[in-house]
Amino acid sequence: MAAKIDHAQFKLVIPSQTRYLNLVTGLAKRASLVAGLDDAAAAKVSIAVDEAVTNVILHAYGGEGEHSVELELRFTEQALEIHIWHSGLGIRSDQMVLPDPKEYIKHPRKGGLGLLLMSRFMDEVQFKADEVSGRNECCLIKKIS
Amino acid sequence: MADLSISVRQVGDVAVLLPAGFINAHTVRDFEDALEKLVTDGRYTILLNCKDLNYISSAGLGAIMGLIETVREHGGDILLSDLQDNVFAIFDTLGFTQLYRVFTDENQAMVAAASERKG
Repeated sequence: MAAKIDHAQFKLVIPSQTRYLNLVTGLAKRASLVAGLDDAAAAKVSIAVDEAVTNVILHAYGGEGEHSVELELRFTEQALEIHIWHSGLGIRSDQMVLPDPKEYIKHPRKGGLGLLLMSRFMDEVQFKADEVSGRNECCLIKKIS
Repeated sequence: MADLSISVRQVGDVAVLLPAGFINAHTVRDFEDALEKLVTDGRYTILLNCKDLNYISSAGLGAIMGLIETVREHGGDILLSDLQDNVFAIFDTLGFTQLYRVFTDENQAMVAAASERKG
């Protein structure tokens, strides 16, 4: 008998290469619309996913393109959840330091804005490590209002 | 279609840069190169006409941020016009609308740039 699948979630695995960013952000935007979010919210989810996957490719994997990034989209009545899994260097939520936008404007510099965008555009951003599998996860949650 | 294409035209003293598509970590090098070439050529007043820019990630914001001090030190500036709603939301969320002058359209930006030269 064929295994039953959960119709409220699916996965996509991409190589750890920035050339696929546009693909995953497009998917994130479309998934947001399917989940019931409006265009503006969908655009914000798209940007947050761009930032999260870029962090994995450039920082967790150090720009090495031969690894994989797994995205899992879960649709519930309350929210769209996007889980991003990787085997590179991970951070935990308590290590997440957000720049102060006011200070940033006074002292402009490159970098540091991706996490801020993710936290402003999503309702929840969590970083977790799975000690059993050795993988790290970034979980982005957008509530359906 | 390429993820990003960039065209540049000169209108008086203002270099108008039109990015079309997506500025993210994959395309940002092209965007940085275009901006840096303008600065290298001594074109310090730059208008980013964003009418065809679908989105910009923090990588692109960093590219703009990396040059703002240089152009202002030379009496120029980086102006923004024609931002789509989602692109405006990114700039506004991060407070960049306080750091850069944002105009509804290119004409308004040109009038502002011209009045400064007279001023």
